[in-house]
Amino acid sequence: MTDVHRTETRPEVEDDYIRVENLEVSYDGTTLALADMDLVAGKGEFVAVLGPSGCGKSTLLHAMSGVVRPQAGTIRIGGTAVRGSMGDEAPLIGYVFQDHRLLPWRTVEQNISIVLRANGVAVTEVDGRIDRYLSMLQIDRFRRSWPMRLSGGQRQRVSIARALALQPAVVLMDEPFSTLDEVTARLMRQQLAELWQESGQTIVFVTHSIREALFLADRVYVLTKGPASVLDVVDVSVARPRRYEDPMLTELEGRIVDRVMRVWGYEGPETTDEAER
Amino acid sequence: MTERPEGSNHAPGGRVRERWINLALSAAGLLSLMLLWWFASRTTTFVPSISDVIAAVPAFLDDEDIWPDVVATVRRVFGALAIAMVAGLAAAYVMARGGLWGQVVDRYVSLMLGIPSTIAALLALFIFKRSEIGVYFVVAIITFPFVALILLQGLRTADRHLDEMSDVYRLPATTHLRHISVPHLVPYTFAALRNEYAHAWKVVVLAELFAVNTGMGARFARAFDRFLLVDAMLWLLVFMIILLGTEYLLLLPVERRVLRWRESGAATP
Repeated sequence: MTDVHRTETRPEVEDDYIRVENLEVSYDGTTLALADMDLVAGKGEFVAVLGPSGCGKSTLLHAMSGVVRPQAGTIRIGGTAVRGSMGDEAPLIGYVFQDHRLLPWRTVEQNISIVLRANGVAVTEVDGRIDRYLSMLQIDRFRRSWPMRLSGGQRQRVSIARALALQPAVVLMDEPFSTLDEVTARLMRQQLAELWQESGQTIVFVTHSIREALFLADRVYVLTKGPASVLDVVDVSVARPRRYEDPMLTELEGRIVDRVMRVWGYEGPETTDEAER
Repeated sequence: MTERPEGSNHAPGGRVRERWINLALSAAGLLSLMLLWWFASRTTTFVPSISDVIAAVPAFLDDEDIWPDVVATVRRVFGALAIAMVAGLAAAYVMARGGLWGQVVDRYVSLMLGIPSTIAALLALFIFKRSEIGVYFVVAIITFPFVALILLQGLRTADRHLDEMSDVYRLPATTHLRHISVPHLVPYTFAALRNEYAHAWKVVVLAELFAVNTGMGARFARAFDRFLLVDAMLWLLVFMIILLGTEYLLLLPVERRVLRWRESGAATP
């Protein structure tokens, strides 16, 4: 594992770095994906958005990244309003998709450098950043490999390296570990928590796994079934570094399960065996 | 962590064995062709024997007049194919966009697909008389619809997820074109090129039979008219050697090099 500075306390939080208010997004003007959605994240905070499959979690990230234009409401990141097709004045955003979305015809380093160069990172700086983030994610030996040669976990690490190497103020993550096997996913959650503590970036992490949200986040936004709005906000005051099997996380998981069971019904989220008992 | 990359457990011995099997199959195919030729020469009066043709090779190669005709045909094949690729890409782009023009081009492409090569060559002879442009026209008009259909398939299967990634990371249009759109179309372009390369050779030779006095087709026709069967056979062999040689020694290696990212072997960009 990378040698990182670990802290027992939450990072310094400057409130209101991301503010989403009364957000409404619909597709085709008829199908409502988000209804009256609110979310606040302080600078350097790790916020998880938890909801059942298809409730509109990914749409929230699309709107925050500026790819989707909302019908109503506002999104402000670092004081700048986010609108569809953002201009140059918008803050840099790193995005980790559910699938890796790497260019298969470009090597690992090219995949990262293309994004860095397109966002104005100086040529002289690109190599150093690629070295640094590939090393942090322990995939530096695959620097000149084609993505098709890598395993699912390795590809997703490259995708994370691409997002972090941009050194954005905000990283949006859309169920990045949901397609990985549980052992790899746990290792990557651990790694992500350490990287976040080191970088101090603001992360909005979408998931349908309660335990994953609680393990990673300072605050968990629990959404309703689609169209999504906020059902509950849970502060996770558990010291870091956290253990995946921490009894406090189990207790919080049980509480969230009780809260959402009636609202989500049987289409609800994944829970661990302990919580279900 | 000790994760290993996928595809790293290929046994090199397996690949070597596969190569030897392919070589043996090619040799067997060539041998069977020689046997057929030998049988045909023994049972007919119009197929020259293998030994007669081999004996005529030195004199044939010494004849300086053959090379301008070979060069003329090669130039026509590559030139006409280049026109067909550009026209096919343009047609595919218009069809992929849809709308009225998409439908109009779609109808034209369907119509062109149905025109037999011989009829097109004769039409070109009527239209362009005995001019060079007629040969280019025939080859381009015959091959471009096939190119268009393959490239259309490529345009229609563009990965929307990569477009979304491009939007999120605000890649400029030129970067998108260079790193996403063009590389996505490259495998389809090679598929079209390989399919239509042999087709273009056949059509060029056919057009040369009718339309012009130069080129391998014209030389083949001349040999046939004078009943010089050994010469006709030699021109047929030249045709096959150039066609297969350029395909296996030029097109396929270039394709393998450009599309090496699809192979699971070691990456050495």
